[in-house]
Amino acid sequence: MPGGDFHPWYFAVVAVWVLVCGLGVVLFKKIMYSAVAMVFCFLGVAFAYALLNSPLVAIIQILVYVGAISIVVIFAIMLTEVQSGKLELFFNRQTAVAAVAALLGAAILAAVSLSANIGRISPLSKAPGLNELSRLIFSRYVFPFELVSLVLVAAMIGAIVLATRERERP
Amino acid sequence: MNALYWWLLLSFLLFCIGAFGVLARRNVILVVMSLEIMLNAVNLALVATANFRGGAKGAGTMFALFIIVLAAAEVTIGLAIVIANYRNRRTVQTDTYDELKG
Amino acid sequence: MEGTQYMKIAVALIPLLPLLGFILTLVLGKRWGARAHLLPVALVTVSAALSIYAFVWSFTHQHQTFVWNAFTWIAAGRYTVPWGFQVDTLTGVMLLVVGIIGCVVHYYSIGYMHGDEGYYRFFAYLNLFMFAMFMLILADSYLLLFLGWEGVGLCSYLLIAFWFRKKSASQAGKKAFIVNRVGDFGFTLGMFAILVATGTLQFTGVFDKAAHGDIAAGTLTWICLLLFTGAIGKSAQFPLHVWLPDAMEGPTPVSALIHAATMVNAGVYMVARSYPLFIQSHTAMLVVMGIGTFTAILAAYIAITQNDIKKVIAYSTISSLGFMFLALGAGAWVAGIFYLFAHGFFKGLLFLCSGSVIHAMGGEQDMRKMGGLRKKLPITFWTMLIGALSMIGMIPFAGFWAKDEIVGAAFVHGYYVVWAVALVTVLLTGIYIFRMMFLTFWGENRSDAEVQAHIHESPAIMTVPLIVLAIPAALLGLVVGIPPEGGWLHRFLEPVFFDLEHEAFTWIGEGGALMGVSLILVIVGIVVAWWLYIRQPDIPGRIAERVPWGYRASLNKVYLDDIYAVVPVGATLGFADWLWQFFDAKVIDGAVNGVARLWGWIGDRLRPIQTGRVQNYAMYVFGGMVVLVVILAWVWGN
Repeated sequence: MPGGDFHPWYFAVVAVWVLVCGLGVVLFKKIMYSAVAMVFCFLGVAFAYALLNSPLVAIIQILVYVGAISIVVIFAIMLTEVQSGKLELFFNRQTAVAAVAALLGAAILAAVSLSANIGRISPLSKAPGLNELSRLIFSRYVFPFELVSLVLVAAMIGAIVLATRERERP
Repeated sequence: MNALYWWLLLSFLLFCIGAFGVLARRNVILVVMSLEIMLNAVNLALVATANFRGGAKGAGTMFALFIIVLAAAEVTIGLAIVIANYRNRRTVQTDTYDELKG
Repeated sequence: MEGTQYMKIAVALIPLLPLLGFILTLVLGKRWGARAHLLPVALVTVSAALSIYAFVWSFTHQHQTFVWNAFTWIAAGRYTVPWGFQVDTLTGVMLLVVGIIGCVVHYYSIGYMHGDEGYYRFFAYLNLFMFAMFMLILADSYLLLFLGWEGVGLCSYLLIAFWFRKKSASQAGKKAFIVNRVGDFGFTLGMFAILVATGTLQFTGVFDKAAHGDIAAGTLTWICLLLFTGAIGKSAQFPLHVWLPDAMEGPTPVSALIHAATMVNAGVYMVARSYPLFIQSHTAMLVVMGIGTFTAILAAYIAITQNDIKKVIAYSTISSLGFMFLALGAGAWVAGIFYLFAHGFFKGLLFLCSGSVIHAMGGEQDMRKMGGLRKKLPITFWTMLIGALSMIGMIPFAGFWAKDEIVGAAFVHGYYVVWAVALVTVLLTGIYIFRMMFLTFWGENRSDAEVQAHIHESPAIMTVPLIVLAIPAALLGLVVGIPPEGGWLHRFLEPVFFDLEHEAFTWIGEGGALMGVSLILVIVGIVVAWWLYIRQPDIPGRIAERVPWGYRASLNKVYLDDIYAVVPVGATLGFADWLWQFFDAKVIDGAVNGVARLWGWIGDRLRPIQTGRVQNYAMYVFGGMVVLVVILAWVWGN
C-alpha cells in the first residue's frame, strides 16, 4: 500500500494496546494505576508513530511524554496524595451522561468520517524523513520554533512562581 | 475503508475515551492525564494523515511536534496550579472547586 | 354685510387687547407690584370704547350683520373652521353690557383688591376673562362660541378659587368648574348633533338649513335641548345651579362681573342666538320656560332665609336668570334680552355695593351683624337702594319695565300657571331683597365696637363705579324699554328675532292691568319686609318655629348640595376608591410585580446550572458539540 505498508496485524496490536491502556487511565480507581496505564499508553502511541513512518516523532514522544510528562504527573500525584480510605465517588449522574456523550461522540465521528471522503490516499505521499524534518524546522518553521521556546521559558518561570511557598517575612 | 480510515478510527476512539475521563473523573490530576490522552489522540490523527496523504510541505508532522512540546508546557503549568491549590485547600476533588457557583 | 376696515380693526382688537393684557400681566405683573393694574385696566378701557364703537355701528346698520372671516383656525382635511367674527344688533347689546360692566369692575377692583398679594394675578385673570367673554359674543360659529364658553368657565374657576389657600375657596372653584362641565357635555353633544344634521357649525350655515326645513323636527328638538343643558350649567339653572352660591367665595368684583353681569348671561345669549332653532321646536321652548320658572321660584324660596349678604344676591341672580329663560321660553325674546341688559347693571351694582359694605365692615358678610349703615355709608346706601328697587321691579326703574314685560308676556301667551308662579316669585323677591336692605342699613348696628369704629365709606375708586352703574340701573328702562312691547329695543332687535309677534301694549286694558298687579305685589313685598324686620322683628323667628321644615329646607338650599354629595359625588369617589384598592393595587400592581417576580422565579430555576464546577461546563460544551455535529451532518447530508 502506498505511503508505507499497512501491516494489519501490527496495527491491530498497537491499536488494542493503546485503547486498553487508555481505558485503564480513565477507569482505574487508584490514581497510581492510572498513571502507569498512561505511561504504557504513551509507549503504544510511540509505536504507532513508528508504524506510520515517523521515527523522529516517535523518539520525541518517548523522550517528552514518557520521560518528562509522566514523571511530572507522578510527582504531582505523590505531592497530593489523598488520605487513604477516601475513595472518590465514581458512579453518578455525570458519569453516566459523560459515558453516553463520549460513546455518542465516537459513533458520530466515525459515521461522519465514514460517509465522507476523507480517506483518500494518494500514492506518492509519505511522511517526511528525518533530514527533511530538520531542514523544515530551521527554514520554514523557524518562527514557530522560536515562539515555542519562548512559551517553554514562560512555562518554566510560571511553574517556579506557582510552586514557591510563601516565605514568612519576619 | 482504507488504511487511513482505520488509523483515524483509532484516533477518534482514543479521543472519546479521553473526553470521558475529562468529564467524569473527580480527581483533578486524573483530569489532566485524560487531557493528555486526548492530545495524543489528536497527534495520532495528524501523523496518520501526514503519512497517508502527505503534502502541505510537512505541516502535519511539524504540527504534531509542536503539539507535543506545548502539551508538555501545559502539563507543567497545570500541575503547578493544582499543587498550589492543594496547599491551600488540601483537596484535589473537582467538585469542591465551586467558588463560581451562581 | 359691509366689512369696513375700521370695523375689522375694532372687532379684532376688542378681544385681542385683553388677551395681550393677560399674557403681559401674568408674565411681568409681579414686578409691577401695586401698579400692576395699569396695563390691564387701560387695555380693557380701550376694549370697552371699541365695544361702544361696535355697538354704534350696529345701531347705524341695524339690518346688516358684520361678518368677517379673519383666518382659518382649524384645517382638518375637508373640514375647516374659520376664526370669524359676527356683529349684529344682539351682539351690539351684549357688547355694551360686557364692555361697560367689565370696564367698571376693573376700576372697582383697583380699590377693592388693594394690598392683596395676588394683585397682578387678579387683573391678569380678569383680562383673560374679558377675552373669553368677548370671543363668546363675537363668535360666528358654535365652535368659536364654545371656545369663549370654556374660557369663561376656566376664568370662573381661576377667579373663584383666587384665594386658593382657603380650602372653601378652592373647593368652590372646583365645584363651579365640574358642575359647568356637566352642562358643557350636553352642549358638546348638541354641537355634534348640529354638525351631523347640517355639516357646519357656522351660525349662518346652521340657521339657513334650519330655515329651509332641512333639519328633522325630532333632531331639532334634541339639538335645542342639548344646547340648553349647556345653558343650564353655565347660567346656573336647576339642577345645575349649585355652583353659583358657592362661587361667592371669590372676591366681590368677580361675583359682580362674572356671576351677575356677564358669564352667567352666556347661556341666555346662546339660547337667544339660537333663536332660529328654538322657534321651530315648541317642546324645547316649553322646557326652557319650565326650568326657568322653577329655578326662579326655587331660588327665591332659598334666598329668604340666607344670612350672608352675598348669598342673598347670588340666589337673586339665579332667580333672575330663571326669569330670563322664562321669557325666552314663553316667546318674549326681546323681553328676555331686555331683562339681561338691565340685570347686568343692577345686579352688578348690587354686588359692588355689597362689596363696599363688606369692605366697610372689615370683611364681615353676615347680615345679622350689620345694621344702621345708612348714615355711615351714604353713597353705598343710595346706589344700593336704586339697585334693589330696580331688581324687585319698582317703577320707574329699569328692572320694572323688563320684569313686567316678562310677566305680562307669560299671561298673554297663555301660560297662566307660569304667570302665577312668576307673580309669587316677584313677591318673594321683594321680600328678601328688602329684608337684606333693612337688615343691613336700618336699625342699630349689631357688630362689636371695634368693627363699628372702622366703618367708613369706601374710597372714590370704589364709589364712582357704583354711581356709574346706578345710572343705567335707574334709567335704562325709560330709555330703551318704553313703551312695553314697542320700545326702541324691540325695533333694535327685530332683525335678530325675526317673525316675532308683537302685541300692541294697552296702557288701559290688559297690559296696564297686568302691570298694576305686579306693581302691587312689589309694594306688598317691601311692606312685608318692613313689617317683619323693622316693626316686629320677632315674627320671623316665630314663623320659623311654626314651619320648621319649611324654614330648614330654605336655609339648607333644599338639601340639593347634600343630595349631590351622595349621589354623583359619593358614587364617583366610591368607584375611584374601589379602582384604587382593588384594580390598581391588586390587578395592575399584581401584574407588574408578577412580571418582576416571574423573572426572579426563572432565575431561581436556572441557578442550578451554574455549579461552579468546570467539569459540568465542559460537559455542556462537549454535549453541545455533539449535537452540532449531528445537525451539521444531517444538513450537509441532504
